[in-house]
Amino acid sequence: MLRFALLTLALILVMTIGATAQEPAYTLVIKDHQFQPTEIEIPAGQKIALLVKNNDTTPEEFESTELRREKVVAGGEQITVYIGPLKPGKYEFFGDFNPTTARGHIIAK
Amino acid sequence: MLGAAIIVFREVLEAALIVGIVLAASIGARRRGFWISTGLAGGVVGAGIVALFAAEIAAAAAGIGQELLNAVILLLAVGMLGWHNIWMSRHGRELAATAREVGDAVISGARPLYVLAVVVGLAVLREGSETVLFLYGIAAGGSLSAGSLLTGGIIGLAGGVAVGAALYLGLLRIPTRRLFTVTSWMVLLLAAGMASQAAGYLVQADLLPPLGDAVWDTSTVLTEDSVLGKALHTLIGYVSRPDGIQILFYLATLSAIWLLTRLVGSPVKPRTMAASLSRGAATPLFVILLLGGLGASSAAHAQLRVRYPIVDYREVEIEHFGDITFDKPKSGLSNNQRYALEYGFGPLPNWFVELGHELTAPNGENITYDATEIESYLQLTPTGKYFGDLAMFAEYEHPLGRSDPKNFTFGPLAQTEFGEIAGFGALHTLNLLFTRTVGNNRTDATQLFTAWQSRLLINPLIQPGFEYYGQVNEIINPGKLADQQHRIGPVLVGLNNFAPYGKLKYEVGYLFGLTDATPRGTVRWRLEYEIPF
Repeated sequence: MLRFALLTLALILVMTIGATAQEPAYTLVIKDHQFQPTEIEIPAGQKIALLVKNNDTTPEEFESTELRREKVVAGGEQITVYIGPLKPGKYEFFGDFNPTTARGHIIAK
Repeated sequence: MLGAAIIVFREVLEAALIVGIVLAASIGARRRGFWISTGLAGGVVGAGIVALFAAEIAAAAAGIGQELLNAVILLLAVGMLGWHNIWMSRHGRELAATAREVGDAVISGARPLYVLAVVVGLAVLREGSETVLFLYGIAAGGSLSAGSLLTGGIIGLAGGVAVGAALYLGLLRIPTRRLFTVTSWMVLLLAAGMASQAAGYLVQADLLPPLGDAVWDTSTVLTEDSVLGKALHTLIGYVSRPDGIQILFYLATLSAIWLLTRLVGSPVKPRTMAASLSRGAATPLFVILLLGGLGASSAAHAQLRVRYPIVDYREVEIEHFGDITFDKPKSGLSNNQRYALEYGFGPLPNWFVELGHELTAPNGENITYDATEIESYLQLTPTGKYFGDLAMFAEYEHPLGRSDPKNFTFGPLAQTEFGEIAGFGALHTLNLLFTRTVGNNRTDATQLFTAWQSRLLINPLIQPGFEYYGQVNEIINPGKLADQQHRIGPVLVGLNNFAPYGKLKYEVGYLFGLTDATPRGTVRWRLEYEIPF
């Protein structure tokens, strides 16, 4: 049974190593519980890195149901979220702690 | 205030549902209250700590600390839930039996309740830390008065707890003897859902490939943002647009826990055990075990699969295949199950090697570990240079039972593309494999296994065809045709390329038995995932 587990783990590791590469980066700023910009255009079919900078003093959570992403970003800090490769389309995201004001979307072309 | 209530409710809901299930699963156990409250308290304290160090955690491990923490918490919970189910499969029947005879109060205190306490703690920690951060954000932002924040928080908390309590009370209405079956299933689905969530976090951290973005999309029917969607997300792992790897994690967890509970669980059905024990004689039990053992070891039942001669150079692969037979219930040919898992890689342009494990369940009895195999494929002709491709296959099979002979199999694998139907090319593969036994209880017989497959190359994803499998246990003296095994039937083969992450191949077929010694029907399947390196 242990051998099973070890081999499976080893395989996951191999898959992991295969998946590291340099992605194009985009920046999103949170200020006054709002995202700037509210629209980000990215190439479809390619993985990107999204840098989310929180210029507020309060924490926020970058979340998107459509992208299946959620990540807390503490006040004055920044995080990186990897997105895609996406099919062409519009993907909404929001700040989970201020869902009425913090809204935006990604357009994959 | 309402906004705060809704957000707190959403965060609390997930933890509350998990606690509800755990409470129901641990019903009747001694000191249950103590363990569950310890888990809750630990979770609340942990949530505070995680919230306090949110910035440090996010920055840890080159910016993926948060995802790693979430994934580790979830996978730990998966392990605990799996362990709980395995333990219950071994002792659950005793528990139910004692409960009926002596009353609920005596249900053993030896149950690993700390396992469930850890699950509760982890669930509260994960959801609680977000709630704390959110409430802190509002409080620090000063947009709401402390009073209305508190009210909102309490309403949300109460709402979440109410749903969890409703689930618990609903489960309590199930009769005790069925309750553990229901909770075991719920725990199994809970664990599978958590594993797929963990996979989602690892994809977000770029540690795992998504293997297909949004394999399906049911967000128009139900989103995870809705209360029902969120509840189902927790309870059964509902995701409206799952990544391929999430589906893979879900299914792998489901089958792994299920398989382990079957493997570890008591080997005899409770009724048989109770009957034989009450008569004061365990003899029937041994007879059953003996017969089962004989069924497993007699006449190596060749793997129903076609092997291909072309080596996948510089590829790693993981492969699962199996088959189940169907025939009249008492014929001995019915419900023979086989499940195999193999790992392989191609270090040389013309050589591929595989390590495999095989599990069998003769006549639908409990699944047991049958054998370990090492296989070698030596490709003899450069791919596509001649009319056909040829390889030499060799396999050593080491059975678990000491008295079972070891098998050595070798023979040619040939393949060619020839002819066409309706404008589509056809691919034909032939295997001729000879098996000799070595070691203890070996015989002088040479078994011949023939496999033939012809399929139409319509497109990579869909290639229909047919297959033939024949097994003659002694080629020198093949005996009557009725004693040999011959099968023929349709098959569907295909692959999907998730470049650059790899390829998923599938095969599924149904085989009709042609002789008396062959089961009337066999379903066989194969799934293979190949990753280039």
